[in-house]
Amino acid sequence: MKNEIHLFLENYFKAAECTFLESTEGSLSVKLTPEIDKELMNRPFYWHYAEKTGMKGEPLSLTLITDPIKAPGEIEGESIHFGTPRLHQIFQSAKGHTGFIRLYEQRKSGSRQPLHPWLLVNIKVSYEANHKKDIFYSLGLSLIHGAIQEEFMNVLNRKLLVSKIPDFSFTITPLIKPKSGVKRLQRFLISRLEQENHDWAVRARKEWEEDLLLLDYFYEEEEKPEAYFIEKAALEKQYAPKIHVSIINGGIVYLHS
Amino acid sequence: MNVDIYFDHAWEEELEKRIEQDGPWGNWPLFQSTVNMETRMMVPNFEGLLAPGFLPELNPLPHQLEAAKRVVEEMNGKAILADEVGLGKTIEAGLVLKEYLIRGLVKKVLILTPASLVSQWASELATKFYIPAVAQKKFYAWDQHDIVISSIDTAKRSPHKEKIYEQEYDLVIIDEAHKLKNHKTKNYQFVRHLKKKFCLLLTATPIQNRLDEMFHLVSLLKPGHLGNEGQFTERFKKGDRQVQNHHHLIKLMNKVMIRNRRQDTGVKWTERKVESVKVAFTEEERSLYQALESFVRSQPDEVRSSFSLLTLQREACSSKEAVFFTLKNMAQKLYGSQLEFPQSFQDVLTHIQAISRNSKAEKALELIQTINDKVIIFTEYRATQLYLQWFLKQNGISSVPFRGGFKRGKKDWMKQLFEKHAQVLIATEAGGEGLNLQFCHHVINFDLPWNPMRLEQRIGRVHRFGQTKDVRIYNFSIADTIEDRILQLLYEKIHLFEQAVGQLDAILERMDIPNMQEHLTDIFQHSRTEGELRVKMKNLEAVMELANEWQEEEDTSHEKRNSSIS
Repeated sequence: MKNEIHLFLENYFKAAECTFLESTEGSLSVKLTPEIDKELMNRPFYWHYAEKTGMKGEPLSLTLITDPIKAPGEIEGESIHFGTPRLHQIFQSAKGHTGFIRLYEQRKSGSRQPLHPWLLVNIKVSYEANHKKDIFYSLGLSLIHGAIQEEFMNVLNRKLLVSKIPDFSFTITPLIKPKSGVKRLQRFLISRLEQENHDWAVRARKEWEEDLLLLDYFYEEEEKPEAYFIEKAALEKQYAPKIHVSIINGGIVYLHS
Repeated sequence: MNVDIYFDHAWEEELEKRIEQDGPWGNWPLFQSTVNMETRMMVPNFEGLLAPGFLPELNPLPHQLEAAKRVVEEMNGKAILADEVGLGKTIEAGLVLKEYLIRGLVKKVLILTPASLVSQWASELATKFYIPAVAQKKFYAWDQHDIVISSIDTAKRSPHKEKIYEQEYDLVIIDEAHKLKNHKTKNYQFVRHLKKKFCLLLTATPIQNRLDEMFHLVSLLKPGHLGNEGQFTERFKKGDRQVQNHHHLIKLMNKVMIRNRRQDTGVKWTERKVESVKVAFTEEERSLYQALESFVRSQPDEVRSSFSLLTLQREACSSKEAVFFTLKNMAQKLYGSQLEFPQSFQDVLTHIQAISRNSKAEKALELIQTINDKVIIFTEYRATQLYLQWFLKQNGISSVPFRGGFKRGKKDWMKQLFEKHAQVLIATEAGGEGLNLQFCHHVINFDLPWNPMRLEQRIGRVHRFGQTKDVRIYNFSIADTIEDRILQLLYEKIHLFEQAVGQLDAILERMDIPNMQEHLTDIFQHSRTEGELRVKMKNLEAVMELANEWQEEEDTSHEKRNSSIS
């Protein structure tokens, strides 16, 4: 079994139309395209030179070892795992290419069928104080009647989705604008978050107050020195509880009803 | 509970644009795969460590993982990491840093270290932790890079200082933090004015600190944790060196400090084999040693009070060059920078000139030849270091020098030379910190420091994680001299060499002398005569023996308790 990083890399290089030179259970060799070479290999001078002189640039090959135990012993390449800058770089590149999608559901039946527009939004909610935790939400919103579907990715993963509208299908025009659709989902999420029990924030505030009290003891004089205010501001940064909601990616998906 | 919620609105704007322009749209399999990766990299819980999962090649030790976990979970990222020398404080700090980076709680980081350790930190963070830290070289590094390593001496100077004050750091790491113990120094004031959310102070020697110093170190980390200065004095201080409410203080300290000792790590350590090598003076050397006494006595009072006979005699046990160097400095200090030595110095100089051999150096050469492997020689004196380098070269042995004053690059270079090309490394005291030399397991102490902690730091260079062989330590001393007596009194009586710092610490703690170092300085530097020194040492020895007995009693009663339970 190839590991999750290996599968991700396969998808990445496939989507980027790179040529696979060799692929084993624990390693991956690809010939990059000029575009991906420019994104990953950090050699702007070479490409600048190639373009200036009209020479056809030659993209590099890249060998990545995703599992040192399963990779053939003689293979030479970069070890890649969670935490390596290379994986982070490719992941950032992948995110850049997959921020927005538009897909159509394909079914076998030949008769003419309407496709309903849905808005897909994948979200990371981060609870942040002196500690941190993330929660993933995948929400779908019908752009016709405004129904909300949770764990929408799971629904979509089971369907056959294509990037061009299938023959015999036609799309229904949204009644809700995508942008206000996003707003609706945000409101949905806020009310969800407001109902939650935020023990973590209560604890953080309590520790914050305790440390503030210590700080005030330490600088008991009336005229507080600068160091007092620096430390006070740092405590706020350290403890003030907040929730960050960021959209990972999403798009418009046309589905059979 | 009301918590502020922040939305990022950039995505919805961009979505509208893409719809208008009809793309570009992403590839569906890659989209699915990216979402998988994103969820995989999320932080599933407030507690626990994610870093080890991201560092499959690191293999941290249990006590290092435990330390990192405590810092993140219980100490809110503010801690003094005070493991004994060689237990891997850097690994612990790296784990904490990595954890916070993964959790997204830390982005902007400042690491302050002695100049000699800057490049070592950069390479360890890069190779072991995949953390791209930059060694500060250019002025613009401060705001251009997220993670910067610098020496505190550079950082605290203008214009760097002002630029650093503008930065809001999420994490500040300070290595060898015991240098911040004095709150009146520029270093201390500098660190106090840093904007820092989390902070790690690394030190191997908190025991050296006086109560006040401990207070100031903790106040840097968490002002008020030990109260303010007045409250602290009232609660804990009883006279200058005594502590009251000891247990309460320890409890408070444990909330901000982690101190692992060798014996609690559960790791099998290679042994330390100690050998005392007694060397006899040549007749000429002996007569110099003796001449020093009448020389010092012949000096006027104001001269006699500015340096001690003990210092000169200890130097004479090392090399005539060391003595000469001190005499030259003295002459310059007392009589200005004239070329000629004053008349009263001539007798000693004649004795120096009469010496043609160095007995210790000859013994060292013989030993190095029989060992026939890498050897580190430690000496207290630079003059001796230079002499030894010359002497070994004369005898066909390659050596490299190592001093604290070397620039970073030179230090790395010297270490590499030693590892790859030279048989011997000759280091002065200051060369000790942060130097990792596990590939060597022979140490010659050419002369002995009077501070046992410094000795431990010397041995700690080689007896640390990664050392696979027993470490052999050869302690040189000249028979019937002050050196011989220091060795006997201080080192042999308390079996210092076999005891790692851990046990020594326990003993010193029990003795309630929080400033052991000062105590020893006092004995060795301010004793005028050997007689005075002997009396003071006898007292110290008696206290240590008592403390040792208590320790043993406690250990046995502890064992009894344990066995009665089982």
